[in-house]
Formats: sequence, C-alpha cells, structure tokens
Amino acid sequence: MRQFFYPSSIAVFGVADNPKNLAKNIVFNCQDMEFSGEIYPVGRVPGKVYGRNIITSPESLPKGIDLAVILVPARFVADTLEICGRKGIRNAIISTGGFGEFKEKDNQAEMDVLYAAKRHGIRFIGPNSIGVICTGSGVCTPFNPMQPKRFKKGNIGLIAQSGGVTTQTAYYFSEEHVGFSKIISAGNKLNLDEIDFLEYLMGDDETEQIHMYLESIEDGRRFFDLARASKKPIVIYKSNVTKTASEIAKSHTAALSNESLIVDGAMRQAGIVSVKDIHDMTVCAKALQLPPLKGNRLAVISLSGGFAVILGDACEKHGFICPQLPRKLLDKIEGFRRGGVIRMSNPMDFGDVHEIEALVFTLKHCLALDYIDGLVLSFMYEPEMARMFGGEIGSPQQMLKFTRNMCEGTGKPIALSFFAERPCIEEFKRINTFPVFNNPVESVRALRMLRDYWRGREIRGEVIN
Amino acid sequence: MNVIQKALKEGRTALSEYESKQVLAAYQIPVTREILVDDVKDLTAATQEIGYPVVLKACSSEIAHKTEKGLIRVDIRNDKEARAAFEEIMSKIEGAGHGVLVQEMVKGKRELVIGLTRDVQFGPCVMFGLGGIFTEILKDISFRIAPIEKRDALEMMHDIKGYKILEDVRGMEAVDLDMLADILINVGQIGLENEKVKEIDINPVIISGNKPVAVDALIVLE
Repeated sequence: MRQFFYPSSIAVFGVADNPKNLAKNIVFNCQDMEFSGEIYPVGRVPGKVYGRNIITSPESLPKGIDLAVILVPARFVADTLEICGRKGIRNAIISTGGFGEFKEKDNQAEMDVLYAAKRHGIRFIGPNSIGVICTGSGVCTPFNPMQPKRFKKGNIGLIAQSGGVTTQTAYYFSEEHVGFSKIISAGNKLNLDEIDFLEYLMGDDETEQIHMYLESIEDGRRFFDLARASKKPIVIYKSNVTKTASEIAKSHTAALSNESLIVDGAMRQAGIVSVKDIHDMTVCAKALQLPPLKGNRLAVISLSGGFAVILGDACEKHGFICPQLPRKLLDKIEGFRRGGVIRMSNPMDFGDVHEIEALVFTLKHCLALDYIDGLVLSFMYEPEMARMFGGEIGSPQQMLKFTRNMCEGTGKPIALSFFAERPCIEEFKRINTFPVFNNPVESVRALRMLRDYWRGREIRGEVIN
Repeated sequence: MNVIQKALKEGRTALSEYESKQVLAAYQIPVTREILVDDVKDLTAATQEIGYPVVLKACSSEIAHKTEKGLIRVDIRNDKEARAAFEEIMSKIEGAGHGVLVQEMVKGKRELVIGLTRDVQFGPCVMFGLGGIFTEILKDISFRIAPIEKRDALEMMHDIKGYKILEDVRGMEAVDLDMLADILINVGQIGLENEKVKEIDINPVIISGNKPVAVDALIVLE
C-alpha cells in the first residue's frame, strides 16, 4: 500500500495536450506539490504537457514504475491495466467513472477490469476515485485543477468516498490549519476498500488520527472489529443514514432499527467519535490534540459575563457539569478584582480581573482540583488589551505558549477560544502551536468529542493514565 | 433449542409467548411464572399454582398486539373471574390459538423494552429502550452489536434520554443494573448462538421492586 503514497515514479494514462483534458491536471497537481519522482504522461496523441513529452507507445515505458493513474474511457480501462501488468506496475488508481455507479448490474467493463487486475496481481483504488493526496511525498492524483500548495502537512489521515468531499476536505482542513498526512478517495471500492485503507493508516507512522467520510460500509462487522482494535482515534462522518427499517419487520425491534441507530451504537462500542459535518471533523481533529479528558467536570472561565452564561448552557447541553469551586479559592480569585463588582462562581466571569497573575493562579488552582477534569477558557482578545495583561500573554504567540504549558503541566485539557475580531482569531489559528476553536460554544463541543473519545477507550477496557 | 426446532419443523415463523419465554429462561433471563392451559378443567390448578391476582392471555404464535384485540385480562382475583376470562379469550382465538397463559401479575410502574434484530451488515444487534406504549411513541432506544460486554450494556442504558427512569425516582428503588446488563448480554448470545432467531421483542420488561422481569416476549424465526 505504501507505493500508492510513496511511488518512485508515476505513469498517468489518458493525457492529451488540449485544454479540456483532465488527466493532465494529475501531472500538474503532482508537479505543483513537488513530487520528486518521475511522472510519465501517457496518451494517444503526441504532445507536451507541463514540460513533459506525452508517451504514445506505452510499451516504451521504463520498468520499475510503482503507480499508474488511469483516466481513460471506461471501455479502455481493462486494456490499460493489461499494459500496466506487462510493465510490472502493481498499483493503480482508476479515476474513470461510468462503472457500477452508472450501471449497477452485470457490468461487463467492471468484470473486465477485475479480471485484468487479478491476472496481473494489481491492487487498485476506484474506479470513480480521484485517488490520493500525500503531503509527505507530493503525490496528488485528483484530476480536477487544484491548489496543492495550499495543503497543510500534518498527522491526520483521511478516507473519503466521494471525490468532491475529498477535495473539499483537503481545503477545509488546510484552511482550519489542521494538517493532513494522507487523503484517500475510495471511489467505487471495487478492489481496495475502506477496511484496507483503515488498516493501512492504523499502521502508518505519519498518521496519528484517522478521519473518515463514509456513505456506505462494505463489511460492517470487520470494519467494526478493526476500529475497535485501533490505538489511534477514529473519527467518522457518516452520511446516507436514512431510515431503512424493513416494512415487513414483525417485531418492534426490527421495525425501530435503522442503519443510523445501529451504526451509531456500533461506533460507540468501537470507541469511534461520530461527527455531523466536515467542519466538526476539524473541530474534533483539534480537540484530539489536547490531553485526555477523563470525566465530565469542567471549570469555565470567560472574560465576558455573557459568554459565561452561554458557556454554562453549552456545558449542560453536552452533558458536562460545572462543579462548585471551593469558597477559599473563589475568595482568593475575588481578591484580584479591580472593581470588586463581580462574584466568582463556575462558570467564572473574569470581566473584572485584568491581571496575568490572576489568570495563572486561577488556571493552576482549578486544574489542580481532583474533581475538575478540564477547563474552558474563553478569552477576549485585542492587541491593546493583551499588552495590558502583559507578561506571559502579551502576544498571540505567548498566549498560546502559556496555555500549552498549562495543559502540559497539568495533563488536563484547556479548550481555548477567543471573542475577538475575526482577523485576530485567524492570527491565533495561523500560529497553530495550540488548538484554538472558532468560538466559545464550539470549544465546549470540542471537549464533548474529546470526552466521548476517552470514554470509548475506557469502554474498550483500556486503562487510561 | 428444542422449541425453535419444533416451530421450524411445523413451518412457523414465530414462537408463541410461552415458547419465547422458554428460550429466554434457558438463557437465564428472568421471566414471569406462567402455565399454559388449553382445557378449562386445568384452570383452577393453574391459578392455584401461580396464585391470585393473575393475568390471562391468549397464547399463540399467530397473535401479536394482544391488548388491542382484547386478548389480555389483568388483575384476575378469583376462580369466577378466571373462568369467565378464560372462556371469553378462548372463544376469540378459536382455531388460531394454542391456549391461554395463566401468568403471575408483575407489579411495577417502569416498563422497558429489550430486543434483538439481525442487521445485514452487523449481524445480531441488541436493543434497549423505554418499553410498553412508549416504545413506538418516543423511540427512545439504543443499539449495540452482539456480543456485548458489560461495559457496553451499561453504556447503552445511559444512551437513552429516559435513563433516569433506572435511578431511584419518586420513591421507586434504583434498578438492579447488573441484572439488566446480564439480560442484554444474554439476548445478544441468543442471537449469536441461534442463527434461526431473526428478531426478539421483550416488551415490556417490567421493573418489579428493583428487578427486571420479562412480562411479554416474541421471537421471530427465519
């Protein structure tokens, strides 16, 4: 499987030097993402694309090519695989559409492809797949024009079924400053499917979290057993969850069951975090960068009374408790107030406290309480005000470093968000040395995902230290 | 299981309540004490054995939704009431019935549902939720894939919105969750060990004191 991501060289089939040709974009995308291996464009008409000559006699391709990307009409795909087989290419991405998704039953083109692949021992992704994007090697096989330079390198591995979602997720993750290691578009899953990809990413050194967008699961049982054994977090956005309960069901149980409910149960059982959209995948990815959240009890600090109330609601909605803090501690925190006009409780309104010492003191002491599992910090940020606080949080860089140290020192998570002008928030996200959530409510949702993940680990019988 | 084999041999696609509970009991699932009576002359012996008050129910693999059809009589307190109820029920199920179940009357305000369905993808899946008339109305239910472990069983109870019904509420005792978890685990086992069992409904499971008891049950075969 590694050769799909780190091939020594790639042959792209279906390239032509005309403006409407799509396969040539594959050459461009790999080149633009600085793939260092050789790329061989193969086509029927001589010409040049992105400085490379189109090879018209595929038999003249050199030996030792690891990966073929195929975007030729469906009826020629099997023949192309034959050529690959003869040239010793054992891995292929079939981008061509018009197979099972177009004609479901007795699809001859599909059978021919399977036969050719089997004969030559070729493993393939697709058909109807835009293939893979690997930030480590620069392999970027989508045939749609892209901006691969915008992709951020990181440790998320992503498996998506649809090409559109693949592309969108690559951008979305990058825009949210969540880097990825590998993205795989599974397509029609005629040969390799999500189980193969999941297995690969579970053992992949460059991947620490596995995210998936799934419309269907081929072998639920095996998938579920595999996921349950994963040491890496698995996050799934499952769509196509309409009610499928059989009308002929005789029992209530069967009539009430539907794919969504059963898949939900299975995912919880396997310790998979379930999310509802692409955006929440990024929220979850950030949350999982934090230390474990081992319980339900949070201390909440906000620089605005209004957000303290909003956060209180959000905590309750997501099943968190904000326990009473010790009176002695609250008295001490109240000692830092300027006007002495706000009473401290949990959630805590920090609107009357403008001292870095107060913040350090409060965070340290709250996180030290054995009945506090994590902390929500929602900060007002304005460069001028930051300077007023000064010290350890005088600049965005310092603020993030400060929060990070606090987390690492206590081993408990801090969900950090800002209410500030959008460019300010973007600045924090860009620095990216500590997860920053887009708004206070999102930060609580993030902690819910983190808690669900660690609870799942616990359900699987793992001891969490 | 003998009852399953027998039913399949007879070409049936479901077990009667009485047979279903025999399967459950074989898997250590607590069920109501009950005696199947098909002749009025055995009725008194049965009611004496179970002890008043009793419930009389039509028992057949052909009959679902007994309440709507007036095939259940509850809180029967003496021989006279028992005889009248028996005859009325028997007259309604003429031809289709296998008899009348004389059943202990389990008292309890809390009704749960426990079930099993066979998913194409995941195989046998266990269901837990609010029972009785709330099952269909609120659909407050949760699923897990068999086999389930104790942790899964406890977690799926927590999944439902009505979880608090299992706690000590309004003068009622907290439910014996260990016992409830064992039932969920064992229902999963029935599905895993009996390929022919397609669906199971145990509805209601009534909480008597703090102990769950299977009061009605249906096993569908394939």
